Amino acid sequence: MNMTQKSLITFLVFFIASCSSVSMDRTNDATAISASASDAYSDSGLTSNNILYFAYDQSDINSEGRAKIRTLAKIINDNNLTVRVEGHCDERGTREYNLALGEQRAKTVAELLIINGVSSNKISTVSYGEEKPAASGSNESSWSKNRRALVKTF
Amino acid sequence: MSDQVMSFLKIFLITFSIVFLSNLSSQLRIEIKGGSEDSISIAIVPMKWNLDIPQEEFLHQVIKSDLESFGEFEVLPPKNMLSLPTSKEEVFYKDWRLLGTDYLVIGEISPSEMDQEIKATYIIFDVIKERAIHRGTVLGPLKTLRSIGHKISDTIYSQIQGIPGIFSTKLAYIDKPSKSNPNYNLMISDIDGYESLSLFSSPQPLMSPSWSPDLKEIAYVSFEEGTSRIYIQKLSNAERIGLKLEKGINSSPNWSPDGNKISAVLSKTGNPDIFIYNLEDSTWSQMTNHFGIDTEPDWSPNSRRILFTSNRSGSPQIYEINTRTKRIKRLTFEGTYNARGRYLPDGKSIVFVHRTNGIFHIATQNLRSGKIRILTNTSLDESPTVSPNGNVVIYATKDGDKDILAGITLDGKTKFIMPSLKGEAREPSWSPLID
Repeated sequence: MNMTQKSLITFLVFFIASCSSVSMDRTNDATAISASASDAYSDSGLTSNNILYFAYDQSDINSEGRAKIRTLAKIINDNNLTVRVEGHCDERGTREYNLALGEQRAKTVAELLIINGVSSNKISTVSYGEEKPAASGSNESSWSKNRRALVKTF
Repeated sequence: MSDQVMSFLKIFLITFSIVFLSNLSSQLRIEIKGGSEDSISIAIVPMKWNLDIPQEEFLHQVIKSDLESFGEFEVLPPKNMLSLPTSKEEVFYKDWRLLGTDYLVIGEISPSEMDQEIKATYIIFDVIKERAIHRGTVLGPLKTLRSIGHKISDTIYSQIQGIPGIFSTKLAYIDKPSKSNPNYNLMISDIDGYESLSLFSSPQPLMSPSWSPDLKEIAYVSFEEGTSRIYIQKLSNAERIGLKLEKGINSSPNWSPDGNKISAVLSKTGNPDIFIYNLEDSTWSQMTNHFGIDTEPDWSPNSRRILFTSNRSGSPQIYEINTRTKRIKRLTFEGTYNARGRYLPDGKSIVFVHRTNGIFHIATQNLRSGKIRILTNTSLDESPTVSPNGNVVIYATKDGDKDILAGITLDGKTKFIMPSLKGEAREPSWSPLID
């Protein structure tokens, strides 16, 4: 590591350190480092309805959902799209268990897309568990909207 | 500057921007909902102020609110006191017996030999036995008066109750995005909700904070890269590193008691299993291997076992794996949803999320007898975390549609809620004891 790098890193470390120490003095006046991540995936490119819904604590797809996946698979192949399947859960149950359940949902959809002819290297999956609800509210109407998998294009 | 430096600077600027979150983060407050009937009566006399600057915060008030937090003490208000002694010579035991006081604390605050520091000296008296049971001194900067108070409260608590006080410990939690603050925030605060501070802020979800045993770092999950990844962040300088990223879920970090390892969940094998990350050589090793869901690991206090949730029997239940022999034992049998277990500090009992009649409660189970006891009567309760002295559980629950933290003593006698002045809090994680 050369001198410039060393001094730059030292500067950054002290910069962050000095900011945090300021905030330690004052309640409710916190300084934080923050991520500026953006969502590179979108719903565009999929004209058909791209949301699949699930029953409570389940990750299987009903016949209506299967028909939807067949349509999605055709669009993906016809337009040579790359997609990401996001799995989501309702708020009931523990967060980490729901993260695992969301992954099962995403994988179920991904497998059905593959069965319907989409190449596996065109699909990735991610689970958000219960962290990104579509509807807030602790009732069945919100919960049923949140138990979902979204097929997004890259 | 070299290209390397430029790219480092660029990454730094893209990934982190320093933001002021003035008045956006949550601040918790303890409100007692049900108190204990057999509480200990104690008097904390307003302490003598020997500094030549005006007093803004009062030590006896900090100590009073600490001791009353969990219902174990009833603190006599100064207006009911017959005298306000500040030295041993001024203490008349008869006065305090008349008021039904079991214990008495007096003290004074003076300048210390160190510049900018103050010195609080105090004496704890047993009124019934008519003797001083402890004399103590706490030093610190004037601006840390609240933490000086917490240290005195810890000593009073341990002198009278015989177990460590937890008023100097910290709470980590996740602040959910709100209208005033669109980001997720990793927060820490004192256990009474004061001194709250955001350690990390992101537009993508943050989850599962876990303290290092030396309290110098926090491990947590961030989705800032579009997928879950475990990070560890130093509290002193905000330096953070991502643990080696694997395909699929990277989540549920839980620090080992010796501080050298982190148990976590990876789904790189195709399904979530428990893994251990070795912080010395940055490698993952696999603990469980089952086609079902294995998640939510927690190290036993002696490091020999790891608690985890698995649906290998068809529904989520709590299991324990011996880290050496890898032998697995199922622990919960009552009901069809038992998850996110945490050991009590003695390793002999656990607290966990238990579903009964469709409602999620916090329950505790004695590992020897297998007897389960439901602790909470709120609903959608989750993420229980135990105080390092084993007396109190704080957990996440709902107040209407709002995410709040609440607590209960393990004996079930005192319940409290921790409403947030702003924002909504979830996933509390109690720090270990501070020396």
